[in-house]
Amino acid sequence: MQEDLACTLLSKHFGEFAAVDEVSFSIPRGAFFSILGPSGCGKTTLLRMLAGFQQPDSGDILIKGSSVLHTPPNKRPVNMVFQHLALFPTMSVAQNIAYGLKRKGVPKREHATLIDDVLAKVQLPGYGDKRIDQLSGGQKQRVAIARCLVLNPAVLLLDEPLGALDLKLREQMKIELKRLQREFKTTFVYITHDQSEALVMSDHVAVMNKGRFEQVGTPQELYYQPKTAFVASFVGDSNQYAGTVKEQSGQLITIVTEHGVRLLSHGGQPMPLGSPVTLFIRPEVMQISTSRPEAEQDNCLQVTILRMLFDGARSQLQVETSEGAVLTVALPQTADYQALEPGRSVYVSWQASQCLCFPVATETQPEAVQ
Amino acid sequence: MRSFRQSKYLTMVTAATAVFSVSAQAETLRLLTWGGYAPQDVVEQFEKETGIEVEITLSNNEDMISKLRATRGAGFDLAQPSQDRIVSAQADFDIYKPMDLSKIDADKIIPSMMAATRKNTEFEGEVYGVPHVWGTSGLIVNREAAGTVKDYTDLCDDSLSGSVSYRLKRPTLIGFAFALGEDPFAAYGDTEKYQAILDKVEEKLIACKSNVKAYWSGGDALLNLMRSGEVSAAMAWDAGGWKLNAENPDITFVAPTSGALGWIDTFVLPRKTKAEEAAYQWINFVMQPEIAARITESAGNFTAAKGSDEFVNDTLKAQFKASFPQADLDNINWYPPVPAGLEEMEGKVLDRVKASN
Amino acid sequence: MSAEPSNANRTQYRLGFWLLLAPIVLWLGLLIILPHIDMVLVSLRERIASRQYEFSFSNYTAFFTEPLYWNTFVRTAVMSILATVLTLIIAFPVSFYIAKVLTGRPKIALFILCLIPFWVSELVRTYGWMILLRETGLISGALQWLGLVDQPVEMLYNDVAIMVGLIYTSMLFMVVPLVTTLDSLDNSLIEAGYDLGGSSWHVMRSIVIPHAMPGIMSGCIVVFMLTLGNYLTPTLLGGKDSLWFTEQIYTQFITRFNWEQGAAFGILLLILSSLIVWLGLKITRQSFTRVMS
Repeated sequence: MQEDLACTLLSKHFGEFAAVDEVSFSIPRGAFFSILGPSGCGKTTLLRMLAGFQQPDSGDILIKGSSVLHTPPNKRPVNMVFQHLALFPTMSVAQNIAYGLKRKGVPKREHATLIDDVLAKVQLPGYGDKRIDQLSGGQKQRVAIARCLVLNPAVLLLDEPLGALDLKLREQMKIELKRLQREFKTTFVYITHDQSEALVMSDHVAVMNKGRFEQVGTPQELYYQPKTAFVASFVGDSNQYAGTVKEQSGQLITIVTEHGVRLLSHGGQPMPLGSPVTLFIRPEVMQISTSRPEAEQDNCLQVTILRMLFDGARSQLQVETSEGAVLTVALPQTADYQALEPGRSVYVSWQASQCLCFPVATETQPEAVQ
Repeated sequence: MRSFRQSKYLTMVTAATAVFSVSAQAETLRLLTWGGYAPQDVVEQFEKETGIEVEITLSNNEDMISKLRATRGAGFDLAQPSQDRIVSAQADFDIYKPMDLSKIDADKIIPSMMAATRKNTEFEGEVYGVPHVWGTSGLIVNREAAGTVKDYTDLCDDSLSGSVSYRLKRPTLIGFAFALGEDPFAAYGDTEKYQAILDKVEEKLIACKSNVKAYWSGGDALLNLMRSGEVSAAMAWDAGGWKLNAENPDITFVAPTSGALGWIDTFVLPRKTKAEEAAYQWINFVMQPEIAARITESAGNFTAAKGSDEFVNDTLKAQFKASFPQADLDNINWYPPVPAGLEEMEGKVLDRVKASN
Repeated sequence: MSAEPSNANRTQYRLGFWLLLAPIVLWLGLLIILPHIDMVLVSLRERIASRQYEFSFSNYTAFFTEPLYWNTFVRTAVMSILATVLTLIIAFPVSFYIAKVLTGRPKIALFILCLIPFWVSELVRTYGWMILLRETGLISGALQWLGLVDQPVEMLYNDVAIMVGLIYTSMLFMVVPLVTTLDSLDNSLIEAGYDLGGSSWHVMRSIVIPHAMPGIMSGCIVVFMLTLGNYLTPTLLGGKDSLWFTEQIYTQFITRFNWEQGAAFGILLLILSSLIVWLGLKITRQSFTRVMS
């Protein structure tokens, strides 16, 4: 498969600070690629380098196989949807879209057709004459995308464009963006700090931290097989515990948490006895039962219900072990659990394969602890 | 020194307002005058002797009339316009108050000047002016560069192209009229004849325009132009010429062959004066010979005070003698009162000169 | 309990409203409107003889029949428009640099640098130019010293000198509104302009200038009015042929004692300059309220 966009060892420093640190990746044609990371991780700098607003210190950017390092932003076959959309307020919707067409040298007589087409595709037919300030947030979003897509860019860059929308609209726009991407078959590079946006829309997601890519993979890979503690904690919700390795036999590791709770987990790598680890357990993998489960479980704890966090389908239960460790457990809204109430004693159980552990601070190996 | 910065006020509130002093009854004399006519030391001495505070506003003829017109004669207690500009202003705007000559120490004033001013400032049977400082306007010439200039019209000589300056005001019209062999003062009463003279002057001034570097408006600006050598001959006041002469012997005041134009600045009471008594006190004070001599040194012009010449320094006397041999002194054309309406005619001429190319 | 307190509140509210409005009404009424009414009245009389005046339009007809006055006005207006345009051309890149290129300290420093000349009076500034431009002045001296000319050059007393002085005096009044509007332009709009394929010229023309238009117009109006009403600069820097309309008004009022004519000129200046501003707004399709907000 041909690549629309590839970066090799791309770096950008601001003084001593490495905003982007030797990042390499490639995106196949027509993919929806997200870069997910907390604010300050360098994702915006990376995106601005792709767009041409910032010059990398080293490395190369290839678009459709040729380097664009020396191509100014207005000549690059990429377009960008800005965080605050940057629609030109002095122009109408149609003028906003025509701006790029004019610069591209598309004959004027074709403008009307192209504009009508793209507006139809973003489901804003007949909005050409509206002023920007007459549009709702979601409509502005669509115009900003239409304005770029009408130019048929090799890559469309999106800089957290959904950030300003309210929750409901954001959920709708996620689906809408995905649909548009399919329809236009354009490569999307989407940066966000919202893991849900990245997971829902993307074919591939890169998790970025401190200027580097921690892991690149499908949303499922990131969720179920995170390669680093950072990815595990950043993607999806988890119960997170510090602990030390007590025993290891093959994949199975026995860990004692800081509260003294003994748990079994799978580990992707060999870990010396006594070394500190971080343990991740997703709320939805734990089973709640009022009596000790009959089937053999790797982990089973008797806990007391602290409080119930009702949120419809996303409701959760906070429980506490006798050692004082607090766990958050997903609470399925089925009849089985209606009788639960704070103070009641229940059992939570899960398999070792459903939790993950990572050694803490790979640089300092835990010899001192022994 | 006479004139200068138009519409620039220099208000000096002097030291007499000591906290404990007589400030409760302290009178204030608001004097509207020319630069140099009320030197600091004279003011201080007056304040000390009388307890009257003096506030000074510097001005010129047109500005004085305009200010007093705007307030219908209020805002000042004593003003000093030239004698020829009093009657017409009084006729048109009613801004002055007749003088009570009995309150003036007439014996301190040169009788001939007193009489002349009395005649020239009489309106509807009342006298409005008392003479103070007199002087002339003529030519300031840099002898090195423009030794040929003897009369106003010599300013138009081709050799002086671009190095001449004069004002676009009425003295220039009058001076050129005399130099062209006319007697504009004699034609004051005959509008038609006066217009004919003005037409002639207008023609000359338009032809002369290429010689002019700039029309000056402030006295200081002109002195700077002469000092730097950018202008080598100009029409201006005698005191300015003498001042430059003290700095550079090549530059001096020259009385034109057709006659210097003589003016007398007077004391008049604005119609709504609030300190009439103080005004008379000031007049009598500055007319004392040796006070008058101090004013002469500060203003550069002589006063109407009797016997003050003795106290004036020799340089000024020598400069005066050099510029005014007896024949030239006799030749001075003294400004008679300007009849109302003439200035409008003159204004149109000045406008056309300025607009011409 | 129902009607009374709300009535009292309303009265109080009204009182507050009028109290707050009073200063501006007084200011407008006493210092702007009344003097102008008086000006109109004065301009409509003609001196017949000493202390005798008659109602007449002669002062207005004089403006249109005497070519000098009309020419002076046209000259003043044309020079003012030219000065405004030149000020804009010079101030725009400066403002853009301050608002969009610089950040932090250098930005404030440069902005203050634009302000500093205005800490001295216009008179002093104008004298400064005279020292520079006069025949025995700095520039002439420097040119001679460099051997570029072999005799003193006079750069003062001409229309170019007036223009230089006027532009210098007006810079600040153009830079401030421009910096303010350009500051309010989101940088991402400029980037979007490039991103969508625009060259610098296109971004400037289609994005920056339309956004800055209210600032440009308010700067232009202020500079035009200030220039048109300037007295000192044209009088001091201008040459023997340099006519300026305010000088005419000054002359009528102060040296001719012809308040009637001066008042008529003042009213005409007000009307004609308003007309020019209105035309400017029409041509650039800006509304006055938007420009002034």
